[in-house]
Formats: sequence, C-alpha cells, structure tokens
Amino acid sequence: MLRDITLGQYFPGNSPVHRIDAMVKIILAVLYMTVIFIAKSFLAYGLVAAFTFFVIFLSTVPIRFVLRGLKPLLIFIVFTAVLNLFMTGGTVIWQWGFLRLTREGIIYASLMILRVVFLIMSTSLLTYTTSPIALTDGIERLLTPLGKIGFPTHELAMMMSIALRFIPTLLEETDKIMKAQMARGADFKTGSLIKRAKALIPLLVPLFISAFRRADELAVAMECRCYRGGKNRTRLHESKVGRIDFIALGILIVFSALVILSNKSG
Amino acid sequence: MIKTENLSFKYNNEQESLVLEDINLTIEKGEFVAIIGHNGSGKSTLVKHFNAILLPEGGTVYVKGIDTRDESRLYDIRQAVGMVFQNPDNQLVATIVEDDVAFAPENLGVAPSEIRKRVDRSLETVGMSEYTHHAPHLLSGGQKQRVAIAGILAMKPDCIVLDEPTAMLDPIGRREVIQTLLKLNSEEGITIVLVTHNMDEAVSAERVVVLSEGGVEMDGKPREIFCQVERLKALGLAVPQITELMYELSREGINVPCDILTVDEAYNALSQIENYNKGLKRS
Ligand SMILES: Nc1ncnc2c1ncn2[C@@H]1O[C@H](COP(=O)(O)OP(=O)(O)OP(=O)(O)O)[C@@H](O)[C@H]1O
Ligand SMILES: [Mg+2]
Repeated sequence: MLRDITLGQYFPGNSPVHRIDAMVKIILAVLYMTVIFIAKSFLAYGLVAAFTFFVIFLSTVPIRFVLRGLKPLLIFIVFTAVLNLFMTGGTVIWQWGFLRLTREGIIYASLMILRVVFLIMSTSLLTYTTSPIALTDGIERLLTPLGKIGFPTHELAMMMSIALRFIPTLLEETDKIMKAQMARGADFKTGSLIKRAKALIPLLVPLFISAFRRADELAVAMECRCYRGGKNRTRLHESKVGRIDFIALGILIVFSALVILSNKSG
Repeated sequence: MIKTENLSFKYNNEQESLVLEDINLTIEKGEFVAIIGHNGSGKSTLVKHFNAILLPEGGTVYVKGIDTRDESRLYDIRQAVGMVFQNPDNQLVATIVEDDVAFAPENLGVAPSEIRKRVDRSLETVGMSEYTHHAPHLLSGGQKQRVAIAGILAMKPDCIVLDEPTAMLDPIGRREVIQTLLKLNSEEGITIVLVTHNMDEAVSAERVVVLSEGGVEMDGKPREIFCQVERLKALGLAVPQITELMYELSREGINVPCDILTVDEAYNALSQIENYNKGLKRS
C-alpha cells in the first residue's frame, strides 16, 4: 500500500525541456509560477494553457502523467473552488436560502481552479523532466552565493539526494515491518486515534533502529569511496548554462510580457 | 600489496580481550584470498584495517608500502583498496545507477570526460551496461551488488575487499557476484579479498585464511585447509559439502582422498574406486 506513493517521478528523455540546465529550469519554473499568479483574465489563462500544453508536448512526457499529479489534490481544488464560488460578494445571479451565487464568485472560482491546476502541472513538469540528482545539483548551485557566507550548501544538497535515494528503501522496510507486526496480531487500522497512535510505536522503533544502522553503514561506505565533502569534487554531468537555457529564458520573458498585456485587455 | 605487522586492535577500553591479536599477514598483488572464521572472530574488523577505516591499536598496516596511519596519504590508500559490504542497499548513494558508479571518481576530482569513460567501462566489466539509467532500488540483490562493485572499480583500485558480499543474495545473485570477482581477478589482475561464510565460495579462492578469536589460525591453499575437516569443525566452521561427503565416506572405510573440493573431482575419485573394485572382482 505504501508503494503506491511515487517519488522522484523522473521521466527520462532527451527533449529540449530535459536538456535545460537544472538550475535554470528551477528559476524558469519559479518565474512561470509567478506569471500564473499574475494572470487575471481568461485571455491570460488561455495563453498560459496554450504555453503549458506546448511545453508538455515538447517534453515528450505523456499528458496523462502530468494530469495524474492533479488527482491527489482534486478534493482540495474542489473544496476551495466551492468556497470561492459561494463566499464571494457581488452581483447576485442565483439565490437559494443562504446559498448565493454571484457573477464575481463564478469568475473568481474558475480563475482559482485554473491557477491551481496550472501551478501543479508546471511543478510536476519540472520534476518529470529533471532527475532528482540534477534537481538537487541545481538547488546546490542556486544556493552557492549563500555558501560564501558559510552556509553548508553541498551538505544540504547531499542530504537531499540521499533522502531521495532512501525513501523507497525505507518505505519498503516500513511495509515489511507492518506486515510482520500484523502477522503477530498488531492492528493499525481500527480503534480510537490514541489506540492507533500507540500501535505505531512497535512500527517506529524498529524502523528508527534500522535507519540508524543504515546511516552508519552508508557513512562507512561513502568514506570507502573517498568522500570528503564538496571540496574539489567534480561531476559526471557537467552543468553549464548554455544556448538552450538562454533561448528558454528569452521565450519565457516574452511570454510573461504577453500575459501582463492580456491582463489589461481581459 | 597489503601487509600487517603484529596488528592488534580493540574497539574500546571496556573490552577486556583484544578483538585482533598480533596478526601478521601479507597479501600479494593479484592474489584471490578468502577469509573465513566463525561469527565474531574479527573478520570485518581485520578487513576494515585494509583501507584505513580502522587504524591499528598496536602494530602497523601497510598498503602498497604506505602506513595506514599516514593521514596525508589517506585517499591514496582508500583509492587503492576499495571495499564492498554485505547490504547492497546501504552502500548505494544515488538514485540512478550511473550517478552511483560516478560517486567515487567525483570525490577524487577526476575530470568529467574521464568519469564518463570509467563509469561505462566499470558497468561493462560487471555486465550491467544495460542498466546505466535505471534506479538501483528496482534491481535484484545480485545486480545491486554488481553495481556496488562497479562503483569501486571506477576508482581504479588495485585491490577490492568484500565483506560477505553474498550473504543477503539468492543462489543466482551469489553466482553472479562470484563470477564477476573471478573475472576481475584473472582478467584485470585486481587483488581480491573475500570475507565469507560460504565454504563453496572460499574454494574458488587460491588462498584461504582462517581467523579464530582475533588471530590467524590457518593459512594456505583451499585444498590444504579443507583437508583438515576435524580442525575446522573444532573452530566452529563447516567445510564444502562435497568435502564433507568425502570425509564421511573415508570415515566409513572407503578409500577416497580428502582434498576433494568439487563435484567433478569427487566423481573422478569415486569412479576410480569403482574401476578398482571391478578389477578386484574380475581377478
Ligand atoms: N563497533 C564495535 N564496537 C565494539 N565492539 C565491536 C564492534 N564491532 C565488532 N565488535 C566486536 O568485535 C568482535 C569481532 O567482530 P567482527 O565484526 O570483526 O566479527 P566478524 O568475524 O566479522 O563476525 P561476523 O561473521 O558476524 O561478521 C566481536 O566480538 C564484536 O562483538
Ligand atoms: Mg563481519
């Protein structure tokens, strides 16, 4: 059951979107999300939609993969949309008891849905087209200025990539321990909240013990492979900002300008 | 390649007896040495001295003539003697096979184009080329362990030490790993030190070192070692299954040689006896 959680949902490929440098891609994603927040008219969202689908098409990631990212948040989206729909004041077009539908409410709610949907789609596109290693590497490089004032950027990136590496292993282990405890009559699913919380103790204790042992062994194995921090370290995948990154940035800047213009017209 | 002189060690001062006591061992370049011994005999402790993960309490360990206490040469030692452990899950650091294999050369500051070459070559040597872009947690145990070996190979070591690398694997995984080691030893001339509980694996080595209570108890060719079935049993060790069978047969009065390590040898020895018996009946 725990295995259903997909993490590090990288979709390997060699598309132009994949080839954009990870650090640049993070910046672009943040920029794009800002644009989505700025967009206020339906015309602007039309542009955002067209652009998003264009990038998905370029990336060769199957569209159903990108849409799948929306599923876990569906309830959240619907809930906030309904709230917005009925709670916004303005010209009333329909009323039933205390429920009141306003023109502004409808517009506001639909823009809200569009906004959340495109935000999620653009972040999942980032993780689909960037390997976790490249992603942590990108974050490390983004933080380099902080490194100058003593912030442990390399260590942070290393911790993140190791965490990513061990999540599936630890999930598998949790699953195993749960089954072992269930075979001995443990019950994780029924009873009061306190009872269920208590049932977790025999799960968490062995899990923690094993995680510490793993960490210990991993540290020795890393030492054996000459690990000594970020100093003088080279990378297999050299990351350089190149032509494609500037092109992508240029396109996004032009697009942002278009969205800002279309806000006014809408 | 590796030399220990009067090596003694204990983990902390509360331990009343030494974990390793006065070990003198020389491992030559290109050798394939198996280290056996019962649980707690000090095998893991000993091999951790071979690449300066542990430093001797008394005595000295030399790797390629470098004293392992020499901190300025630490990474020369670690690069020369690579180490593979029992649990493959706890030694892979990256989420993609090629990134994991690249980890050691990255740490050593090797140029990216050279890392690329080393990664491809190492994966090819262990027969894992087609998994270059896979996630390690989806591989089988034997495959993971071969990726771990490739990760060490990418350092271009002179020697690889493996501490029970097959203990968590199924028979197929075991065979994959042992075949890989034999190939590395014979084709690349890499010195192999294999710690194992599996006597059938120890037979594939050219030399077997038996540890007991922190000291070297026996040291010699597998044939010489496994011939001494009673002595091994007294040390709490098993012998290869086929040797055990031959030992039992000779106790029953059947005249078979004791230094038999493989099924083929056993077959030859037994058919010789049969021919001899037939000869007796005819005359
Ligand atoms: N980190 C440690 N701290 C204290 N004592 C230890 C430590 N590791 C091992 N020992 C002790 O040192 C002795 C030798 O242990 P070692 O792990 O070297 O044995 P081993 O031959 O590898 O055994 P096994 O076959 O179980 O792997 C044991 O008595 C053990 O209890
Ligand atoms: Mg051990």
